[in-house]
Amino acid sequence: MKNNTERKGLVINILSLISFVILWHILVLLAREQIFNIPFMKMKDLPTPLETWYALVGSMFTHTYGPGFTYGIFDHIKASLVRVVQGGVLAFIIGVPVGIGIGYSRLIHNILNPIIEIVRNMPPMAWIPLAIFILVTGGSIFIVFIGVVFPIILNTIYGVRSTDARIIDAARTLGASEAQIVAKVLIPSAFPSIIAGLRIGFGVGWMAIVAAEMVIQSPVGLGYFIWNMGDLGRYAEMVAGMIVIGVVGYIMNISILLVQKRFVKWVD
Amino acid sequence: MNNISKTLIVVIVTALFAGCIEQQKTPDQPINLVKMSGQDMIQRLGTGEIAGFIGWEPYPAIAITKGYGKPLFYSADIWKGHPCCVVAYDYHWYNNTRNADDILNRMALVQLKSVEYINNAKESGSPDHADLINYSMAFGGMTNSSAAELSLKDVQFVYSPNIPGTETFISKIMDFKIFDSNKWNQSGYKNASDYANHLITNRYVDWAVKNRENNLSSIALKETVTIRYGYLLNDIHELPFYVGWQKGWFRAVGINITMAPGTPFENGAFEMQKGFKTNSVDIGSLGIPPVIIHRINSNDFSVDDARVGVISGMNNEGSIIVVAGNITSLADLKGKTVGYPGPGTIQHVLFLMAADNAGLKVSY
Repeated sequence: MKNNTERKGLVINILSLISFVILWHILVLLAREQIFNIPFMKMKDLPTPLETWYALVGSMFTHTYGPGFTYGIFDHIKASLVRVVQGGVLAFIIGVPVGIGIGYSRLIHNILNPIIEIVRNMPPMAWIPLAIFILVTGGSIFIVFIGVVFPIILNTIYGVRSTDARIIDAARTLGASEAQIVAKVLIPSAFPSIIAGLRIGFGVGWMAIVAAEMVIQSPVGLGYFIWNMGDLGRYAEMVAGMIVIGVVGYIMNISILLVQKRFVKWVD
Repeated sequence: MNNISKTLIVVIVTALFAGCIEQQKTPDQPINLVKMSGQDMIQRLGTGEIAGFIGWEPYPAIAITKGYGKPLFYSADIWKGHPCCVVAYDYHWYNNTRNADDILNRMALVQLKSVEYINNAKESGSPDHADLINYSMAFGGMTNSSAAELSLKDVQFVYSPNIPGTETFISKIMDFKIFDSNKWNQSGYKNASDYANHLITNRYVDWAVKNRENNLSSIALKETVTIRYGYLLNDIHELPFYVGWQKGWFRAVGINITMAPGTPFENGAFEMQKGFKTNSVDIGSLGIPPVIIHRINSNDFSVDDARVGVISGMNNEGSIIVVAGNITSLADLKGKTVGYPGPGTIQHVLFLMAADNAGLKVSY
């Protein structure tokens, strides 16, 4: 029964994607033939799905034309992913202890909470100009860090505060030190929430890295690729790059979900 | 869901692995060109984030006078007398303007007059020299008169369009595979020469040369027309436009100049895409490579919305590769980051030509 429902869901998913591609194709063709155009849009300038596919295939690998050398999409994906992972790991290392501190200690909460409440409302993209001026290197990683760290802190706080007070009391009664309570009670209890924060944070970080790479530019990265192709008027390649960003972001999200399911078995 | 997820993970891991394999095929230590604004180039060279940049004047002059870098190559060393910025008009505006030819004749005449003024005033003994430096500082966004002096030295201001030079640029852009091949096929141009001759005309400059001795007001349009003009941010190459504007010569021939929406543009690619293609720029100045590239790549050939025509030159040469003090050759830039205004700009093509001459690879 469950398999049947899953299969139906999968079929609907696939049909939905195919319909979207067909609709895209039809809208571009109608606009190009000047039969119909969506108001306020220049659909005719959009590449068709087929043109986008050819552009994607053509951009997959590195190319050398005379002295010019262009990185392939795989290089761009790798460069962007490396930056997101670096920023994400840094955010995890800093965000989890801060979240535990705020969640567990009233004093730390009172010290850090006002700062965090103000800073977390500044979108990662708003940090880009500052990152350009104050950082000599690693600006993109810093933007990812900003995007990832606050969801981790907030979810860690929530996880710590959701810990059953009776378990903490029981541990204390059994002679556990504060460090042991944090390590053996609070962290395992908050872990599912921390992973949820990580998943949200990586989603934000992925969006932020693409924006950051468009401004804090390096020679390689998906944001840079899209911007470059746009500058050259290679719109099919630009759209292909956008689709790759979406697909990689989706894969990243479900990968973290899989990790969560595999390693956080005490939830659900 | 699980199976789909696993499949997708296998796909991405394979993709990344393939990327690693591809990475090994990359040429040994290419020079990494990275797009950035002119002010960014200066600042990042100063902080050591980049090893150099190729930019239009006055950015090189500012960086050099601040002591952030030194010139490695003048663009004349890469290609003597290469064409650079031009004056172009939008075909949509042309087709909808009754006296477009009369207007373009007078635009070319003001260009000629401005170029002659600048070329005379460049001499330090000229009575107009101080005014020219002030114009340069105002238009180029400079606060230092030494930088303004320096920025004028390597720019050749011209009014004649350079058709053979443009053909060479088109050939280079073809060699570097910058054209979208589908769009090039749609354009119907047979070769570089055919394209250059369709793009550029000498007729307006010829008229201007014939009328150069006339008083401007004697050949003014009967009715004043308003032109939405597009130009590039702080680009000293386009100083003739600014001089003509400030001197009131456009007004004298019956042309009221207004800044087109989006002006000043960050680079020529933007001016083509956001200005000419959207018909918000009637006439403008920009580098010849963005014109060449976006008249093809960004054009919708069913309506020819990015079609432009070039009526006069603006300048030849005038770009510099500026590098940090420890760099003594182009080869020293291998594996390092070099700023440039963006893909498809004149500086991009010139840098590729320089690297080609030196047998080096450039990533962009």
